[in-house]
Amino acid sequence: MSAVAFDYTAPTTLDGALGALDAPGRTVALLAGGQSLVPLLTSRQVRPDVVVDLNGVAGLAGIGIGADRVRIGAMTRLREVERHRGLAAALPVLASAAAAVAHPHIRVRSTLGGSLCHAAPAAELPAVALALGAQVVLRSARGVRSVPAGRFATGAGTTVRAPDEVVTEIVFPRTGPFTYEFSELCTRGSTGYPVAGVCLGLRADGGLVRAARVVVAGCGPVPVRLPGVEAALVGRAVAGPHPGLVASVVAEATRPGSTGPEDREYRAEVAGVLLVRALAARAGREGR
Amino acid sequence: MSARTVTVRVNGVVRTEESEHHTTLAEHLRTALRLTGTHIGCGSGDCGACVVLLDGEPVCSCLVLAVQADGREVTTVEGLAGGGGLTREQRALIEEHGLQCGFCTPGLLVRMAHAAGRGGGEEGVLAGHLCRCTGYVGIRAAVRRSAGDAGAGR
Amino acid sequence: MTGEHRHIGRPVPPRHHERLVRGGGRFLADLRAADVLHAAFVRSPLAHAAVAGFDATAARRDPRCALVLGPDDLAGRTAAIPTVWRLPGQPQESIPVAVHTARYAGQPLGIVVARTPTAALDLAEAVRLDLAPLPPVPTVADALAEHAPPVVPGAAGNEAGRIRFGSPAEEIAAALARAAVVVEREFTLPRVHHSPLEPRGVLAAYEAGTGLLTVHASSQSPHAMRQDLCAVLGLRADQVRVIAPDVGGSFGSKVFLYPDEAMVCAAAVALGGAVRWVESRAENFTGAYQGRAQQATARLAVSGEGRFLAFDADLLADLGAYATQAGAGPHQVTALTLQGPYHADAAAATVRGVYTTRVPTGAYRGYGMQEAAFIRERLVDEAARELGLSPVELRLRNLIRPQDLPHTTHTGLTYDSGDYGAVLRRAAALAERPPPPDDPPWVRRATAVVAAVEISAFAPTALLEAFGIAWSGWEGVRLRINHDGTVTVHSGVIAVGQGIETSLAQIAAEGLGVPLDWVRVELGDTDTAPHSDLSAQASRALTLAGGALVIAARQLAGRMRALAAGFLKAEPEQVTLRIAATADPSSPEAAFHGAGGARITWRETAHRGYRGWGRAHRTDRIRLEESVDFDPPQLTFAHGAHAAEVAVDLGTGRVEVTGYWAVHDSGVLVNPLIAHGQITGGIAQGLGQALTEEARVDGAGLPVTRSFREYTLPAAQDIPEDLVVEHLCTPSTVIPGGFKGLGEGGAILPPAAVACAVAAAVPEIAHTLTSLPLTPSRVRAALRAAGITAEGGIR
Repeated sequence: MSAVAFDYTAPTTLDGALGALDAPGRTVALLAGGQSLVPLLTSRQVRPDVVVDLNGVAGLAGIGIGADRVRIGAMTRLREVERHRGLAAALPVLASAAAAVAHPHIRVRSTLGGSLCHAAPAAELPAVALALGAQVVLRSARGVRSVPAGRFATGAGTTVRAPDEVVTEIVFPRTGPFTYEFSELCTRGSTGYPVAGVCLGLRADGGLVRAARVVVAGCGPVPVRLPGVEAALVGRAVAGPHPGLVASVVAEATRPGSTGPEDREYRAEVAGVLLVRALAARAGREGR
Repeated sequence: MSARTVTVRVNGVVRTEESEHHTTLAEHLRTALRLTGTHIGCGSGDCGACVVLLDGEPVCSCLVLAVQADGREVTTVEGLAGGGGLTREQRALIEEHGLQCGFCTPGLLVRMAHAAGRGGGEEGVLAGHLCRCTGYVGIRAAVRRSAGDAGAGR
Repeated sequence: MTGEHRHIGRPVPPRHHERLVRGGGRFLADLRAADVLHAAFVRSPLAHAAVAGFDATAARRDPRCALVLGPDDLAGRTAAIPTVWRLPGQPQESIPVAVHTARYAGQPLGIVVARTPTAALDLAEAVRLDLAPLPPVPTVADALAEHAPPVVPGAAGNEAGRIRFGSPAEEIAAALARAAVVVEREFTLPRVHHSPLEPRGVLAAYEAGTGLLTVHASSQSPHAMRQDLCAVLGLRADQVRVIAPDVGGSFGSKVFLYPDEAMVCAAAVALGGAVRWVESRAENFTGAYQGRAQQATARLAVSGEGRFLAFDADLLADLGAYATQAGAGPHQVTALTLQGPYHADAAAATVRGVYTTRVPTGAYRGYGMQEAAFIRERLVDEAARELGLSPVELRLRNLIRPQDLPHTTHTGLTYDSGDYGAVLRRAAALAERPPPPDDPPWVRRATAVVAAVEISAFAPTALLEAFGIAWSGWEGVRLRINHDGTVTVHSGVIAVGQGIETSLAQIAAEGLGVPLDWVRVELGDTDTAPHSDLSAQASRALTLAGGALVIAARQLAGRMRALAAGFLKAEPEQVTLRIAATADPSSPEAAFHGAGGARITWRETAHRGYRGWGRAHRTDRIRLEESVDFDPPQLTFAHGAHAAEVAVDLGTGRVEVTGYWAVHDSGVLVNPLIAHGQITGGIAQGLGQALTEEARVDGAGLPVTRSFREYTLPAAQDIPEDLVVEHLCTPSTVIPGGFKGLGEGGAILPPAAVACAVAAAVPEIAHTLTSLPLTPSRVRAALRAAGITAEGGIR
């Protein structure tokens, strides 16, 4: 339980960080909250030559609530996301999903950018970012680019981030008429790792679904939207009944050609069940 | 090149020691600073035995590099009671038999102390702490008792 | 006044807990050691391979390297570890330390010693292994398949041996023939990780000048470790000292010397210095022995009136790559305890040991009894369902009654005392409550009650001899009154967090009539502890060391009284001992009193005794010390009944335990606080095995569960708030003091209780609930197969 020796640098500016990434021939690991990276280092599954610590870089953390958009710095701790008052009003699903991640003493360190970059298949925040249509902003010496959350992760633990890039912020559109919620099933207690999750966005009117957005996590290498399920929900009563909905979630989340864990059928079924229950709970809250 | 000095204020005392870049805060505390009360149970943030306060916030010291704690303040289990009597949480844990082998206890106590500092009875104070001996029954009773004691003391 | 010093039955918190809550634990990794070097292992990355090459040239060239021992070096420096409890026909009599064939992934092939832990890991990686892969044999089915690759030479068909216990086959056949109902099921109890929060570790120091090897080890059995180390290293018993510091849990995983631990000691001898190895969690997951690992085909025959006619089982024991020291021992105990607390016309079981290319298996809390309880109680439940009887009623009808005791089972166990029916009825009564009104429609909720006996005082020398178990069973204590009147207890049992040192202190203090804080209990050092091979295993520490201590204290109290009487010129029975609760031994408040106000303090009595003064006869013993070896006439049986309430989510398959009630009879309780903690801790481990815990490998036999992410221990949130433990007391008739064991009792019943409760909640899947753990995906699959859709219950 001891990492391979590495060099360590803790830049204080973004330019400094980008400069540190310019290390030809050497592998560099970016250290954000460290809650996923450090165990990979100490178990020697990740063996960088250099660790660039982003924790001291000015300007990478913070939450800005605008009229149309919410901007969250990549180094913003999940605890801050969970507790921020303005965010709770503007994008409550983000706060509740952040609160579902691991334990309080992990969330003190863990960051939103780190969570997206770690790209764990069943993770909460990548699923919510996808459902909300977030943009991931990356900076490098070459410039700035913005990638939709749905195209950011390319697989379990892999993203489109180039070795010379730093994720600086995540930009979320305000949700307008949609109301979102996130729910998940964990392996054990409330502290376990997620098996499957679902993020449901709904625009309802008179107890009927007008538009829906459905993202499932844990059923494949990356969270996915289910446009077929979304379309099928339109016009239905929120309260249901929803015959066949679980089956259509399973069918779409595990469609031929896609990949996922061994028990993906089960996970997709759980996602479907969570979706049906989220709809029922919504109907219950709104008195139908 | 791969090492540097790290200065940490630990339990109120400023300590400066060499640390290699890849050394975790948990290892630094245990090896360089001889504070072996902080235990390493998993190295992946799952068991909570290594929890310390870093600038007043509970963190897994196995998931923080020692160099990241440079210039900062750390409280370990050894610092909870100071030199004197036991804290309310320590007493409650003993009286309610909230420990058996005692290996998971240090991180748990740091977490309980942090919760007490915020008014006690923090929801989910046991989240992220694994105990293989007690079945948590004594620990839960201790959390309740120390919260109750705190209430009575106010 | 001696009545003030009633210690037995008091809920005293263990005194060393103050040290532990201050961060003053002395666990293996915490020990200071001068000039200590650090070890890391070269482990097999494959499940099965011939080791064609072990090239440590690069590692040895590194200036940080102190030593590398590969298979060839180890072959010259170590002998194999002897096994102790073998199956008839077992071809493998020992566990080699030096190997040229890897038989499981994670098997240690060599050791590297370096200046720092990091360097040791670097250099272990620098060793180049040349492995010739052999076909893996990851499961029992693979091992027993026709033309299966052989795992252990000489084991035809990968069978390690077999043994049968209980009624003759014709009696079983006759019982099956006259039964109204025969329930037969296939059971699987998977491999599980003990997962003590402190992994294993060894600190070995060898002094070439004196030839002494001092080993600190996170061990549950230092004497057994010393014995094995002597055999492996060719050292004399008086050259090896094993000391257990604070041990951060064991649960059966630290009872045997492992090959990697032996390598650390061999390295210390080779270097003439100190070497430490602290196991990482990942190593613990891959290299530490595992528990359970049993498959069974089992039958219960019941008459039309609901009388049990026969229990019968064929057990397959997945021993892994080697039979460990106790080999198929746990599975043999399953066979022996299958009948449990019930009458039956016949009962029998056959155990077959099977070799696979997985890490060996061995003792785990509940030692075969949890397996037996799961098989038996599920069969009873299924029979009740088929007969249309209430499961509780069926159990009560067949339980052995108090007036039937002592009762000898078909496998030859003699139950001594207890009231099995009272315990079961109490558990059932505790669990009775109306269902909560607010369950969502997709939740089904139900309760079940199950029962078991617990073997304790695992010792009788004649029993061990009859089974051919080459360990000592008797337990010795030395009880000494020091020159200042304080009291020291030496015992061969060991503290692993269970609080035994406090319970023993209570027994000694009670027996001598002194305050508890005068007593100090010394454990865990082979140089001072009385010999004990089994130590704190098998729910035996309190019964055996405690029983011995009751005898020793009685003798020593009598000698003190006689000494005081001599001084006071009185007969011993005319002397009164009065000790104030807060007195120290030299206080006038702590004195023997004779006639007319004459008195002598406890300390002065002890001090005179130490000088040899005041003996009645020149030949009387001087030293105020009593050594007692206790070999009980038979086992003593604790017993219990557990009730679980579960809520089953039909949509996700998730089972939540919403209430749990345990009633135990462990005879006289020395410390109810500790007893309660033992039961609740055991219950939590049992719930983990019921619901989540399973050590898994992939098709190539490589471990998949390598951290707490893949292997989920119960967290606080998984243990119901409604968890009640009660004790009834029927004193043991064979143990002085009336004690019975309880270290394993909590862990024995939860899988049975939970599975039976799930069966009661969802009878549609009851017949399938024979494999653990009941993970959500497994339960959901059963629900799906029974036609219960994921929308089940949703209106």
